[in-house]
Amino acid sequence: MDIKEYISSGILEAYALDGLSSEERRGVEDMLAQYPELRAELNAIEEGLEALALETAITPPSDLGASILSQIEDKEAPAGATAETKVVAMQPKTSVWAYVAAASIALAAIASFLAYDYHTKWQSAQNAFAQLQANNELMASQYNQVNQKLEQLEDDIEIIGNSDFQRVNMGAVNEGDNYTASIYWNAKTEEAFLSIQNLKQLSEEQQYQLWAIVDGKPVDMGVFDFDVKGLLKMKSVANAATFAVTIEPKGGSVNPTLEAMQVAGNVG
Amino acid sequence: MKGQDKEALAYLYNKYGAALYGVAQRIIKNDDVTSEVIQDVFLKIWNKIPSYDSKKGRLFTWMLNLTRNAAIDKIRSKEIKKSGKTDSVEDNVYTIDQQNSAEMSVDGIGVKELMGDLVEEQRFIVQKIYFEGYTHSEISKECDIPLGTVKSRLRSALSHLRKRVRK
Repeated sequence: MDIKEYISSGILEAYALDGLSSEERRGVEDMLAQYPELRAELNAIEEGLEALALETAITPPSDLGASILSQIEDKEAPAGATAETKVVAMQPKTSVWAYVAAASIALAAIASFLAYDYHTKWQSAQNAFAQLQANNELMASQYNQVNQKLEQLEDDIEIIGNSDFQRVNMGAVNEGDNYTASIYWNAKTEEAFLSIQNLKQLSEEQQYQLWAIVDGKPVDMGVFDFDVKGLLKMKSVANAATFAVTIEPKGGSVNPTLEAMQVAGNVG
Repeated sequence: MKGQDKEALAYLYNKYGAALYGVAQRIIKNDDVTSEVIQDVFLKIWNKIPSYDSKKGRLFTWMLNLTRNAAIDKIRSKEIKKSGKTDSVEDNVYTIDQQNSAEMSVDGIGVKELMGDLVEEQRFIVQKIYFEGYTHSEISKECDIPLGTVKSRLRSALSHLRKRVRK
């Protein structure tokens, strides 16, 4: 049986408006019992009829309601004369009233369940949202880090590629060591950048210090840690003849500790 | 208990009285007779509500059909007494809206407005079956439209109205 075709035949509307023969009615009722989607469609049709009737309502004469209720009182009085009829009459009516009450209780239960359900969903949505926000912040900070690294690399490449910068290689001073570092020095602008290739690890209390030999005297060019990556800008210097790196106490010294010289190189 | 039941009926009247009055009025087209019928209908509801079976449909549908059947019975018996013949369907197709246009504009959005954007064939079927209480087979015979077509037209018209009413 094609349910869609059955529905579109309009038989459910005819059923709802009491327009079928009793045989046809029984057929529809059998179908309703078998197919929940038919029941749902019928319910929608009935709701539609109700909405249509409410929308096209006409206000009755104002005394009609009172007159109906007073007629019921008249009819009730004789009916209540014998206790037996009273019981028979009341029982089913109560059940309808109970049906109305049960429906409203069911509605309230459904409403509070929905409220609870939506609250739970709302909370989990909020959690998911907070997590997404945190992820987003993390991504943004990682992006910034990467971006900064990239910018630094771009700057470094510019310096390395700039022909005004002269590369001065500093080799190991003590025999047997294979430490190396380089200085990119621009004689015109006096800017100097350090690049570590291989220097030994220092303790917490120690730092490397870069010196330039100018007119035979050592000039401080600043301190640096053993684990610096990329190019590190050092103090500017003019007329440098030699660059050298010594190990000094953290913060650097006024005069180089010559015994602790690690690498040195002459400007070519 | 009895008080509560009466309260339930008063509740039903307050909620649905005007809707059912509108339904009956459009079939009967006379306020005094409609009041009489609605009074009978609510007494029937009061007496028959134990036999109402919620499995067979909504309470309103049950009341709607009680009202429609009572209203139709009323005009049939009156018409037969008066003229000895039923009006042919064609004669009063669109007279109802004109007669009732005053009342209709009072409550709700009005039948005319609701029906306005139905196609001609659908409007006719709704008018005859829903608002005037003709049966499906009467329409089919009188207007020479296959019964299946009457049903499917009523369906498409009602589902259209359903959408409009819910807006």
